[in-house]
Amino acid sequence: MSNRFASLQEVIQDAMFPGVDVALRRGRHIDREDGDWYAFITDAQEHLEQLYRRYGCELVMQSDGYFYLLPTGDSLSRRHLNAGEMLVGQTFALQYLDPSTVQSGGMVTREHLLTRLAGLVDERELAKALEPRRKRFDDERIVHDIIRRRVAEAIRRLASLGFVEVLDEDHVRLRSPLLRFADPIRGLSDISVAMERLIAKGEIVDLDANDDSANGDGGEREEDLDKENENGDDESVDDEESEA
Amino acid sequence: MTLSPRDPHRLLAGLQREGVRLDLSTLDVCFLVALHLRADQDGLASFDEELVFDVFEQVCDLVEPGLENSRRRATHTIQRLRGQRMLARVDATGIVSAGEYALTNLATVIIKTFLDDEQLTRESLALLTGAVISSLGQIHTAAQRASDNAVWRSEVVSPLRITVGDLVGGIERRQRGLDGQQEEVQRQVGELLQADWFGAVEQCQGLLELMAGTLQELNEVLLRDSSHIQALLQEIQRAAATVGATEAEEAAQRVGEQVDRMAAWGASRQQAWSGYYQYVHRFLRDVVRLDPDRALSQRLLDQIRNWPSRPFAMIVAAEDRIWLLRSVSARGERPPVSRLREDRETELIAVAGENHEVDLEQLVQEALQEGHVELAAVTRSVLSRIPAAEHYRSTGLIAAIVAKSSTPRSELERPWIVVTNAVEIEDWAIEVALGRRAR
Repeated sequence: MSNRFASLQEVIQDAMFPGVDVALRRGRHIDREDGDWYAFITDAQEHLEQLYRRYGCELVMQSDGYFYLLPTGDSLSRRHLNAGEMLVGQTFALQYLDPSTVQSGGMVTREHLLTRLAGLVDERELAKALEPRRKRFDDERIVHDIIRRRVAEAIRRLASLGFVEVLDEDHVRLRSPLLRFADPIRGLSDISVAMERLIAKGEIVDLDANDDSANGDGGEREEDLDKENENGDDESVDDEESEA
Repeated sequence: MTLSPRDPHRLLAGLQREGVRLDLSTLDVCFLVALHLRADQDGLASFDEELVFDVFEQVCDLVEPGLENSRRRATHTIQRLRGQRMLARVDATGIVSAGEYALTNLATVIIKTFLDDEQLTRESLALLTGAVISSLGQIHTAAQRASDNAVWRSEVVSPLRITVGDLVGGIERRQRGLDGQQEEVQRQVGELLQADWFGAVEQCQGLLELMAGTLQELNEVLLRDSSHIQALLQEIQRAAATVGATEAEEAAQRVGEQVDRMAAWGASRQQAWSGYYQYVHRFLRDVVRLDPDRALSQRLLDQIRNWPSRPFAMIVAAEDRIWLLRSVSARGERPPVSRLREDRETELIAVAGENHEVDLEQLVQEALQEGHVELAAVTRSVLSRIPAAEHYRSTGLIAAIVAKSSTPRSELERPWIVVTNAVEIEDWAIEVALGRRAR
């Protein structure tokens, strides 16, 4: 533990605190690539853990080299990722583990992601998971359109959470927080046991056990976010990223 | 002394007019390389036609085995290469004659690009920059002593363009070679991990370290020597500017631009490599070392496939708005909300009233006394005495006054009589009471 900060007051007075604090509260994962932000949290970790504990949150540090805030009480709002974000996130994680991605320095294309995703989940099943309220998936064109649209939306949201970095229209850079998607299968224990443990810790939620969640929209909180995103209200997230 | 600047528009237009293009297949390149190697091996300056055909057939056997009609194909290839200025047909006296071919400069450059392993190493870079500095030192001395245009041209301009320009060009060429080497290392790292996941860690780290070390050393040499080179070039430029040797000044400036580009390359490549280096190191540490059997990928693959049947989702914080508290301030007397008082009542202004009131009663009585026995006549008489604007309003009043002071005699059809230009009324015959008339 660095002695850069002697007290919480010094941490809060640091110029970096507001940006880091807002980012963490918005669900942003902060990793080594965030440079100064990561160094700031590492140096102030002890004080920040105490601070966020008072809000009923846990400042989690993973050995893969990233931090995030996990609300365990009711003081801070939380949400769970929707079906699109989960499927895209897991596929990105799979690509992150692939040695062929190393050659490009962790950069993948959207096209590559779609191909990979289509290879893992049947297209109609995928479209149904992405848009559970729709009844008919007969038209192949509509299925493709749903997948493209929902995947693009998921990438944007995952980028705002710090899982990936959108470089341009086609390219995305994978970041270490993606390994969080592999948490249920990290240990040697059975996946069911691992999931029970993660559910108990409040890290994940079982969508089957949650009717509201099972519809794939993630409840009221997420619908609000959907509206915001439809209105293009993502500027704050972009600002954070540029600061990072 | 002036330098005739090469107009890029004219140059490009000329190239476009000539339809310049290069179209080389793998067979073509291999054929040229084979000729070059044969020339090197046998010390040949040119090739007779039979030798050219032999070499072509050997190349065909390697590159496109089973090719039929190779002699005809050879003729066609030679023709095409001549058309693209890769191969010249010559004889000893310089007059075109049958059966002698030579590689052109263009072909030699292309062949060397493919053959020469022009990697930039610390030694080669230091050697090249040293040679540039040494040449510039001599040119600088010559520039200080140059007395006329001929000396400036032969001892400053030409060496700057040829000697120094070639040396700097050589460094740039090797830089491109190193770019290629970087790509190769990236490819190798990917392939090593693919082939031998955990076993490849050491090799990958070795490759990364080697490349990082090379780039760092090169950048150090570039930073150190480029400033020295620039200083010498500025001295030459200043000397040329003093005597108005524009051509020499421009030549020095061009070399300076090349050196700037060279130094910028070093910094940018080192930065780019640094990003890649960090990424791969993180990957080796966080992924490969923690998952030596590469079991995680397989388990993740299963997790994704099973996800639709057993969906779960990760939880993240989502506090998109936070309360911003006001800064603490002592509660003091707050001045009441007020603004300047002002009198919103407008000043009253005395306006003279318009008195158009006419005593219609009187006028009607006068008209009746004049002996008019029809409403129209009475009305005409009264209206003639009042302003035109009052005519319409007064017409009804006149009728009312007449009705009050006399008795209309009813007729079945009462005529409409024009009273004035604007007024027409239904006429009555009236009978005026005697008493009233007297009054």
